Amino acid sequence: MRVATLLRKIFLLDLLKGLSLTFRYQDPKEIYTEQYPLQRPQVAERYRGLPRLNVNPETGKTLCIACDLCAKACPENLIVVESERDPVTKRKVLTKYTFDISRCMFCGLCEESCSTDALELTQDYEIAQYGREGLVLDRERLERGPEGKVYER
Amino acid sequence: MSTQFTQYLQSTLTPGQAGNMLWATIYILVIFAGISLCVVFINWGERKALAHFQIRLGPMRVGPHGLLQPIADALKLLLKEDTIPANADKVVFWIAPFIVTTAAFVVYLVVPFGPQHAVTDMNIGILFMLGVSSLGVLGIITAGWASNSHYPLLGSLRSSAQMVSYEVAMGLAVISAILMTSFTPGVASGTLSMIGIVEAQKTQGVWFLFKFFPLGLIAFGVFAIAMIAETNRAPFDLPEAESELVAGFHTEYSGFRWSLFMLGEYAAMIAVSGIAVTLWLGGWMRPFPNLLAGSVWDTIFSLVPGAFFLFLGAVTLYGTARMPKHPALRIQTLGLGVFGMAIAAVGLVLLVPAVRVRVQDIFWFMIKVAAFIYMYIWYRATFPRYRFDQLMRVGWKVLLPISLGVLIVTGVVGLSPELLTWLKGVL
Repeated sequence: MRVATLLRKIFLLDLLKGLSLTFRYQDPKEIYTEQYPLQRPQVAERYRGLPRLNVNPETGKTLCIACDLCAKACPENLIVVESERDPVTKRKVLTKYTFDISRCMFCGLCEESCSTDALELTQDYEIAQYGREGLVLDRERLERGPEGKVYER
Repeated sequence: MSTQFTQYLQSTLTPGQAGNMLWATIYILVIFAGISLCVVFINWGERKALAHFQIRLGPMRVGPHGLLQPIADALKLLLKEDTIPANADKVVFWIAPFIVTTAAFVVYLVVPFGPQHAVTDMNIGILFMLGVSSLGVLGIITAGWASNSHYPLLGSLRSSAQMVSYEVAMGLAVISAILMTSFTPGVASGTLSMIGIVEAQKTQGVWFLFKFFPLGLIAFGVFAIAMIAETNRAPFDLPEAESELVAGFHTEYSGFRWSLFMLGEYAAMIAVSGIAVTLWLGGWMRPFPNLLAGSVWDTIFSLVPGAFFLFLGAVTLYGTARMPKHPALRIQTLGLGVFGMAIAAVGLVLLVPAVRVRVQDIFWFMIKVAAFIYMYIWYRATFPRYRFDQLMRVGWKVLLPISLGVLIVTGVVGLSPELLTWLKGVL
């Protein structure tokens, strides 16, 4: 037993073992890095990213019924829903909808509370901005949803 | 002037021996520029290879596969603000990086890239090399002292202790290789000249690595460990241990002067690898000069440098074809293609008979040195840093006795015919 450890020490077997291990990791197949703007990671379907207000694809009208449930569900109170009652149909009509993603933690409670599947958190994760200005999203922006970013380089 | 120029092309001596000032100057300039360029690209290669060892990609954005990264790095370093601490000793602070760089570059005066390709052939070449290369520690100590700061001083003190202890084992290993040169049949004495050492390996018909089988190998092993410690590289990079001493002796340095330290360190790495190649791996000689002798083998091996560069060019062009087809990468793909063509063109030039005969020595020398540089990076990727007492223990209690023993046994084995006849006479 002691002879074996002595021989291991003399022939530096442990060091050689380590060297062979690191040598094997040089294989290009092992590389873990993603070349981000060119290779994009596959995002899970349940990922909670940029919010979107869905519209009815046939009529082009919003699905939102201005029930204010999302604003009540939001722990940060960052959703503001304003509406007025249509005198003819006696229904609430959405007049203003803002979503402040600078304070949003993407918990998804608003999405869960929405009774008409109008509000949805999409899989778009490229929502960083250079300032706070563009982070309060209005109704138009929310209805447009994710705009695929194109990187020049 | 022109006679001096053409005269050397037929000569078989180094410019220094032939007294050819013109070619000596050309060699100095070429070596300085070439080594600087090598250092720059070793830096790129180290980042790349280290990244691959750590399953990363390394620099990819500046040029194809980050090939232009060294240029960007150099520009950044030159444009950086060059600060001197308020309480530093300004003169010494200025001089220190120049000492390190000068010590690293002066060594190249005697490095034999080929039988004719050295600036000069000193008869004390290896002694000169060891002496000058250990002057580098002076620069490190002055740098640490002049910074007037704790971490640099600690780093430089560690460095001086480390260099002094490893120099002993390294010197003894070198001596055992020099001792082997004196066992050339028909030659009365050994030699300290770098070219003479390689010539001795040629006439003895064996690289000193395999001479007296385990002995040369053990001496080489001792040198290979000591040379890593001498150049302050991982796992013996205590003088610049990031996790303990910020950056060690060059903590207070920035910009151009910091880059001089880096230049000196990498140039010293190449120089020390050059010593190891000259002493144990047959210097500029091609593999198996005695086993596979004859003009046919000579021709085959002289074609290898050109073929090697053609192969590299082909690999680069294959990489070009495999680049992702993306409009943003069009210029990079084009650049990589041109780079591959340039390498292939170098390979074609090296196939010309007049060039390949004159230049293949340099190729074999550099390919051996390159293997050493790769080992340096490989060790850095694999081994964790030694503790200071472990470092000292390895130096004094392991390497020193081994190298002393190898020296003695080498002498006894080398003199065994004479010893046997003497014993017979006595008995």
